[in-house]
Amino acid sequence: MEKNIYAYKCKRCGHLHYPYRTICKNCGQNDHNEFEIVPLAKKGKLLTFTHLYTLPADYETVKLTLGIVELDDGMRITGQLKMDEPKIGMKVKGEVEVVRQDEYNKYLGMVFYKI
Amino acid sequence: MRDVYVVGIGITSFTRLEYPLVEIAAYPGLMALRDSGLDKVDHLYVANMGGGRINTQTGLASALVDHLSLTPAGAETIENGPASGASAIKQGFIAVASGMHDVVMVIGAERMREVNNLEATDFVATLTHPHAEYIYGVTLPSLAGMFTRLYMEKYGVTSRHLGMVAVKNHANAMDNFYAHLHQPITLEGILDSPEAATNNPMVADPLRFFDCCPVSDGGSCVILATGDILKKLNKPMIRLAGIGQATDTHAIHERQEPTDLLAVREAARKSFEMAGVKPKDVDVAELHDAFTILEIVESEEVGFFKKGEGHIALEKGLTKRGGKIPINPSGGLKARGHPVGATGVAQAHEIVLQLRGEAEKRQVKNAKIGFTCNFGGFGNNVVCLTFIKEK
Repeated sequence: MEKNIYAYKCKRCGHLHYPYRTICKNCGQNDHNEFEIVPLAKKGKLLTFTHLYTLPADYETVKLTLGIVELDDGMRITGQLKMDEPKIGMKVKGEVEVVRQDEYNKYLGMVFYKI
Repeated sequence: MRDVYVVGIGITSFTRLEYPLVEIAAYPGLMALRDSGLDKVDHLYVANMGGGRINTQTGLASALVDHLSLTPAGAETIENGPASGASAIKQGFIAVASGMHDVVMVIGAERMREVNNLEATDFVATLTHPHAEYIYGVTLPSLAGMFTRLYMEKYGVTSRHLGMVAVKNHANAMDNFYAHLHQPITLEGILDSPEAATNNPMVADPLRFFDCCPVSDGGSCVILATGDILKKLNKPMIRLAGIGQATDTHAIHERQEPTDLLAVREAARKSFEMAGVKPKDVDVAELHDAFTILEIVESEEVGFFKKGEGHIALEKGLTKRGGKIPINPSGGLKARGHPVGATGVAQAHEIVLQLRGEAEKRQVKNAKIGFTCNFGGFGNNVVCLTFIKEK
């Protein structure tokens, strides 16, 4: 099965959220908290990025490139970038991969590549 | 509501301190008691973020109230990320204004240098969204880096502007005995010289080493009390006149306009409205420059300058001591240092010194109205305070 990252669609008003929240940001009503999970789009354009050189202890690389991507479905996601020269506005495609690993766990998240 | 005044203040040096967290918290408390002339308080609020995680010390308020021999006064620890300090002051204000207590001690303290820089950065990164940000290796510097890149693209801010904030705040800290960094810097040294690449490496591109605050230990204290008590103590009339707080989305990517800091805008608006003053009335301000870009953007969002024009005001020298609105005369987080729980209280400490006219070489002349902005998370929880000198 293809791995995905999911958005949460309010079953009342259809508003999409990523990440998950308990009360819909759009309806904001306390009598309803049901969401349907919908896979996020994987293509989009790069909104901003940074090359980070002081990494958290779990990483053994010299630098980590992080960015925010505006996906084709209008949702935004923070993820890792694997490309040499990222540019604001460039088209990117995401894959779900291991983004962090500690002694006990592997964490899956979105990694973006140049199209 | 009753009026609330600051009757005592105290602070430690912000640096690496080789003594336990509870003593880092206690020392400014002792200084503030001496400053006020009081021996007892009705209640203690302690702002701290990392005691449990970094110093294996939970229940800090209970330990501290006994350490200061203030028992049986009530005591609570307030954790609100890097805005813990101003949040604790807000709780103190509510307690005095409501009539529940007459004298409240507010202490902010942090001991972050007990662990190495990587662990300290990772500890602060636990503020970020656990599965939409943290798992990717997102840290506060990386959020600030992505924010800065957008701000540069949209408003024409350059690395030189960021450097100017660092140069100004390092210069201010030279006159602050309690500041972490007593190191004058120049734009040439950090950007232009051949050594700049090694002196000032990239941390979170486009943010460099000198765009980021140091990791500090330190504590600070303010004692809040009613007007009647202030008169008995015969202290300068510094009133805590306005408090505003606002929040924003936890994950940064959910913000509609990612270059806006709406919580700063709203918290400042509420604080000014409660105090009955306008941004243009402010004589001196302490803004939360954990990263140089934040001083520029906050100076716009709180209303000192128009959106997108903060860097131009900086260029003109309007935010220097002696300028139209001096920002961070203490050196700010950039050079005074940033022991996270202590920062909001240290900002208030500086404003009280300035309004009392006791800031010595860094005194802003005739300062009557002072303002602080304490920025939690990456702008998801912001507390702004307005102080007015009444006599």
